[in-house]
Amino acid sequence: MNHFQIPPSPPRWATRLLHWYCAPELLEEVQGDMLEEFYFQCRHNGVAAARRDYVRNVLGFMRPFAIKRKSSPSYPILPMNMIGHYFTVALRQVLRHKAFSAINVAGLAIGMTCCMAIFLWVADEKAVDNFHAKGDQLYNVYMTVRSASGVETVYNTPRRYYDSAVHILYEDAKEAIPEVEGTAYYATGYSMPWGKAETFQVGDKIYKLEGSRASNDFLTMFSYPVIAGDPKTALQDMKGLAISRKMANLFFGSPEEAIGKSMRYENKRDFQVTAVFEDLTPQSSRKFEFLANWDAHMKGGMEWSSNNMEATVLLAAGANPEDVAAKINKLVQPRLDKNQPYSVEIGLQPYRDQYLKSNFVNGKQSGGRIEYVRIFSGVAIFILVIACINFMNLATARSVKRAKEVGVRKVIGSPRLYLIGQFFGESLLLSFFALALSLLLLQVLLPVFNDVTGKNLVAPITSLPTWTTLIVLALITGILAGSYPALFLSSLKPVRVLKGAVQFTQNAIWFRKGLAVFQFGLSILLLIATIVVSQQTSYMQNMNLGYNRENLLYFTIEGELSKYDKFQAFKQSALQLPGVRVIDRSSEAPHAMKFLVDDNDGSAETAEEDESAIKWEGREKGQMVGFKPTSVGFDFVKLMDLHVVEGRNFSRDFATDSADAFLVNEQAVKEMGMKDPIGKWVSAWKKKGHIIGVLKDYNTNSLHERIRPLIVDVKEYEYFGVILVRTEAGKTKEVLTGLEKVYKELNPNYPFTFRFVEEDYNDMYRNEQVMSKLSNAFAVLAIIVSCLGLLGLVMFSAEQRTREIGIRKALGATVSSIVGLLSQDFVKIVLVSFVLATPIAAYLMHQWLNGFAFKINLSWWIFGFAGVAALLVALLTISFQAIQSARANPVESLRSE
Amino acid sequence: MADYLISKNGFNSYPMKRVYLGEFEEIVLLIVAVLEGAAYGVNIMHEILEQTGRSVRLNQVHASLQRLEEKGMIVSKMSDPTPERGGRRKRIFSITAYGSSTLRDIQQVRATLWSAVPSNLKSFTA
Repeated sequence: MNHFQIPPSPPRWATRLLHWYCAPELLEEVQGDMLEEFYFQCRHNGVAAARRDYVRNVLGFMRPFAIKRKSSPSYPILPMNMIGHYFTVALRQVLRHKAFSAINVAGLAIGMTCCMAIFLWVADEKAVDNFHAKGDQLYNVYMTVRSASGVETVYNTPRRYYDSAVHILYEDAKEAIPEVEGTAYYATGYSMPWGKAETFQVGDKIYKLEGSRASNDFLTMFSYPVIAGDPKTALQDMKGLAISRKMANLFFGSPEEAIGKSMRYENKRDFQVTAVFEDLTPQSSRKFEFLANWDAHMKGGMEWSSNNMEATVLLAAGANPEDVAAKINKLVQPRLDKNQPYSVEIGLQPYRDQYLKSNFVNGKQSGGRIEYVRIFSGVAIFILVIACINFMNLATARSVKRAKEVGVRKVIGSPRLYLIGQFFGESLLLSFFALALSLLLLQVLLPVFNDVTGKNLVAPITSLPTWTTLIVLALITGILAGSYPALFLSSLKPVRVLKGAVQFTQNAIWFRKGLAVFQFGLSILLLIATIVVSQQTSYMQNMNLGYNRENLLYFTIEGELSKYDKFQAFKQSALQLPGVRVIDRSSEAPHAMKFLVDDNDGSAETAEEDESAIKWEGREKGQMVGFKPTSVGFDFVKLMDLHVVEGRNFSRDFATDSADAFLVNEQAVKEMGMKDPIGKWVSAWKKKGHIIGVLKDYNTNSLHERIRPLIVDVKEYEYFGVILVRTEAGKTKEVLTGLEKVYKELNPNYPFTFRFVEEDYNDMYRNEQVMSKLSNAFAVLAIIVSCLGLLGLVMFSAEQRTREIGIRKALGATVSSIVGLLSQDFVKIVLVSFVLATPIAAYLMHQWLNGFAFKINLSWWIFGFAGVAALLVALLTISFQAIQSARANPVESLRSE
Repeated sequence: MADYLISKNGFNSYPMKRVYLGEFEEIVLLIVAVLEGAAYGVNIMHEILEQTGRSVRLNQVHASLQRLEEKGMIVSKMSDPTPERGGRRKRIFSITAYGSSTLRDIQQVRATLWSAVPSNLKSFTA
């Protein structure tokens, strides 16, 4: 019987305890000794005693010497002798999977190029107005006007007319406020849509140049380098004029020659050159070829139809701008007109911020160009992230093949750290390769990018910080992109890997799907943005503005043409030219009317209370409507193809029309609150007359602005404005030659410079066009890069399921059912990302469209289209791999065991 | 083994810096020498009981063996798997040259001292 007894065994709990605490490398000998002793005790003292003894032994071994683990051997961080090998393996990997590597490197390079181009642009935007030595102390003055029609904040100065002159209300700030060390006023001349060119003449040299007027502190406060003359006094005298190096060279040959010379301005007055400054760099948001004395502007009768007078103050170092603003307000408030229907408040903003942060909402700074900077920075990072995710996904897809390598390496004795190092090394190698490629790409693409953005960016490849940034970028990209494969692959268990399939945990699968959703969500977002931006842009470009802007050119009335008889002579001879259909004049460029009167903007320059420029029958006291006024010739309505909805057009047949007739638009009728407007009296400044007709509303400015009330009268003798010529289609060239000849005869002292209305119109939407082009490019790139990632995922999935597909085919599945099988997961990914991206896109686009007075509707088809497009592109990508896998011969795939 | 003979400053430290053995360590070392390449935990324990009549615990033997190995007096290797231990291997210890020279030294010191002990004491013990 004894033979069949179960052999005695030690208490299991004690053994388990031993297993738990004992150092693994000691366990075998210790447990062996204990077991041997246990059997020995069993034979001599019986089982019970042996078990007790065993327990004593187990407890007795709970000593440091048995518990302490042997410290694992320390490996050098970089196994120097293996580096060459890793390098070879990496190169072989790259060469063996040429398509994969190309996709990988191309994706990363595209991402990096986008990133670099955008950050060059961002750096350039941020450098604007940021070069002044006293930049920390320079503050721009802005004023917030609160009136019945709302709150408006502008870079302007409150002024008032008294002592027979216009006074800026804080003109004595420098004396009255100790912290203010200087004030510089700046104003442009009459600004046309193409700029503010004014004519200068020296001897027989005549040029039109764009410049401004500035007060005396301007050249000392700002760091525009003065190369000749004294910046302290240059603009002190009424005749003082500072000119650029370019202008000095143009007129006098050299800057030194120019000093002290006289220049004739607009054939009206003479200036004396007192200083020459260096040509402005693109880093200056203010553009001027010359600066004229401020008083010549305020009192000297220089043209100043531009109502904007910008002011900058120089504060003492360490002064608190808020305190100073409060002090300026204290100075200004008592001087304001008590009866004005609005309040004015002054604020200060660092000068360097005004370029990027020029929008104000409710008197508070809120965005501006900085939004574009932010959006594009975000886009740059998005695209880089998408490219990195790609890299991760593609590397994971390949990991099935490389898993075996990892298994073999581990079996041979590679520690995990080496494997991590190896994979990071490989991704860094690729990312640096991509960096090199993207630098090349950047060199090629930068001219195109410059062309689109209107910048003059140069890749600063010679500076050390650039290289540091680039290397950091490559490092971050490489580490980001390589992190998942490095950490995941190195964690594989060799036994399972070498046995067969790599099993991914549910978490890893979710993580990868999440990445894909993120990627596609971003792409769909960009796609929606692209569609909306380009729709809006083309909407604006093709919108019926209410007038015909084709074959319409115009030029400024100046010189001899300011005289009535010369204008008439010009008109008569021009009309004889073949190809000229209509010719007439307007005091404003009709497609870009900037002048707005009686809009409660806080800069009233009228002498009397309640003295508004435009009045009308039935107007309540104090009622003000912001009008766009213009004075035109008799043929204006015909010239512009305007539509008269009520009453009649101006006509030479009515003798009273040149003195008594006014046309208004529908908006004006509405805002004045008139019923039955024909025959009612209106007055503009001192001229009183009657409304003879109502024009259908048309856009007098860019579509950012709503249609304003318009008032038109006939004044053919006005000395300023533009001459507009409607030509016959296709005859532009002949017309221009003819016009130039006539112009030269009548107005020999002025160059013939003309513009096309169509061109101007397109220029007004340059920002939107840039946005549109860039977002097009970026959306396409994002989609391409995302699809590369999707391709990787499909390859991975197909590889994982090779045998399943083989069995299905062997059992009779069709190619299409297998393609469907492989696709459905990815269709789900695209759908989820669509659902996530759509509301975000809708919100962002709604915000963007709010900046337009005329905008497209965010209709559902935009989102539908983006979703369907993303889905189709994704399906196309998927099917590329899916069909290949589905058509594979099952014999091949099933044989692989 | 050379590592144990050379001090950090590179001199042969053996004559100057002796490694002292505890009394129990000395016994264990002697037993390892006695068992001649067949010494392992359990039989060392039994041998100690047999030779000296003193009952020791397994953990004491193991601790002592580990210290001796750290001191370089003994070396060990794993044996082939043995059926009586459930297929586990034994760790077999054998004495090193340094270990035996240490034993000789101790023996010599004792002999020298013993010869200096007064004869009446010797005879008393005898």
